[in-house]
Amino acid sequence: MASEDAEFTMLFQDFYPSLCRFLECLLGGRAPLAQDLAQESFLQLHRTAWGTMPVGEARFWLYRVARNMAINEFRKSHTRYRLFDRVVEVMSPRARNPEQEYETQERKTLVLEMLQTLPEDQRTALLLREQEQLSYREIGQVLNVSESKVKVDIFRARASLRERWNKVSGLSRYAGVGNS
Amino acid sequence: MNCSFTEKISSLIDGELTAAEAREVERHLIGCNDCQQLRADFLSLRTQIAGYETSLQPAVQKRALKKILGTERPVPARRLGWSFGPSAIAFATLVIAAAVIGLLFYQSSKKSEGESQRVAQQTQSPSPVPSGSGEQSRQQPQATPEPGREQPQPSPNKGNDETPRRQPSKKIVREPKPGEQFAVVPAPVQPAETQTIRSADAQTLTAMHFEKSETLLLAFRNVRLNEPGAAKEVGYERKRAQQLVLQNMMLRREADAGGDVQISSLLESLEPILIDIANLPDRPDENAVRVIRQRVERKNIVPLLRVNSTALARALD
Repeated sequence: MASEDAEFTMLFQDFYPSLCRFLECLLGGRAPLAQDLAQESFLQLHRTAWGTMPVGEARFWLYRVARNMAINEFRKSHTRYRLFDRVVEVMSPRARNPEQEYETQERKTLVLEMLQTLPEDQRTALLLREQEQLSYREIGQVLNVSESKVKVDIFRARASLRERWNKVSGLSRYAGVGNS
Repeated sequence: MNCSFTEKISSLIDGELTAAEAREVERHLIGCNDCQQLRADFLSLRTQIAGYETSLQPAVQKRALKKILGTERPVPARRLGWSFGPSAIAFATLVIAAAVIGLLFYQSSKKSEGESQRVAQQTQSPSPVPSGSGEQSRQQPQATPEPGREQPQPSPNKGNDETPRRQPSKKIVREPKPGEQFAVVPAPVQPAETQTIRSADAQTLTAMHFEKSETLLLAFRNVRLNEPGAAKEVGYERKRAQQLVLQNMMLRREADAGGDVQISSLLESLEPILIDIANLPDRPDENAVRVIRQRVERKNIVPLLRVNSTALARALD
């Protein structure tokens, strides 16, 4: 039991932050909600599925459950948490200097706004690819779709984001980072 | 941008192309400025998305872990499907054993009841019977009642009235005619003393049977023989009637045994109609169908079925 808990703790430390980030991007930046859902996903894993699958599978299981929870949240309300999130954002401690903080915040807002324009399945597939570095096969496993659909979804998401990005701010502003 | 390589560039930066495909796209990239720009933009987007920082605080993470590990874990289901524990198996065994014992007890009580009746009859037989000789009273039921012959009457002997005598049921079974699947089985006559409350299961079954029969009769009434596909439709109704006849017989016997006169008589009037429908040929002539329909109308059976099924359903509620 103690070794199981130790193993679970390791998995939690490895993946809880990335699951929070994934959910945050999926939910349009609602950080407290994303953290709640990530915690709920881990809780479900711990209560029901932990020990019934290989540890490697647990990661995909987590993303699948978390994504389903996020979809449920989309259906419930889009605005309920927004005000609360803003309050949390304002009240949260800021360690960096204001200029750096502003720039980071600006970029985050831009990324989130762009991502929100994508259909949910494309957004999820792209996030799993870019943030979690999952392969197409693994993404298909999480989303329960074929590899070819994942490939098409990711391409469409990129093409759509690129077009919007160019329209909104001009991609050249950030292009230097990617080309290095 | 109309280059045919655009989608492949997305796969290239994800490392999802085979070595040969990757080489081909790389070669194309050297000469295509649009695709070069596309790759640069895709990579730039990747940097932006991957560089997104979560606003998770370490304290929140610690708290979440503490909460999860502090939650009691139920025993996880190790496999899919039903998983019965030993207690469930023991309970199921107990239930089955109780059912078997109950059945055996029921059968033995039935048998002993029959025995006691036989004994009662045997003890009565030597006593003088005013309506006929002792030999006549011991006679077995006949297959067909002979006209003019006196039927055995219940004994007026008051001394034996404590144990109600059950008349042996007269089963007058008509042989099915050629081409028929069912023959009429008239109801055995039951004395009024044996009236008991019928079980809820039997009532439910009867209510369902009435509903099904009502649906069948309504459908049969609406069959148009002149239209194409009528034979198929009649065939379907016939099959349903065949199923319902057997159920009708069973329920009628049960209603008789329970002394439910109303239900029994309704089932009795329904039965010949069901038999007639069940015995219809593949291509019935219009006359045969009309006769059955007329009988249904005359007996007013559809409203009766509806009223009784509703009443039974209400009683069950």
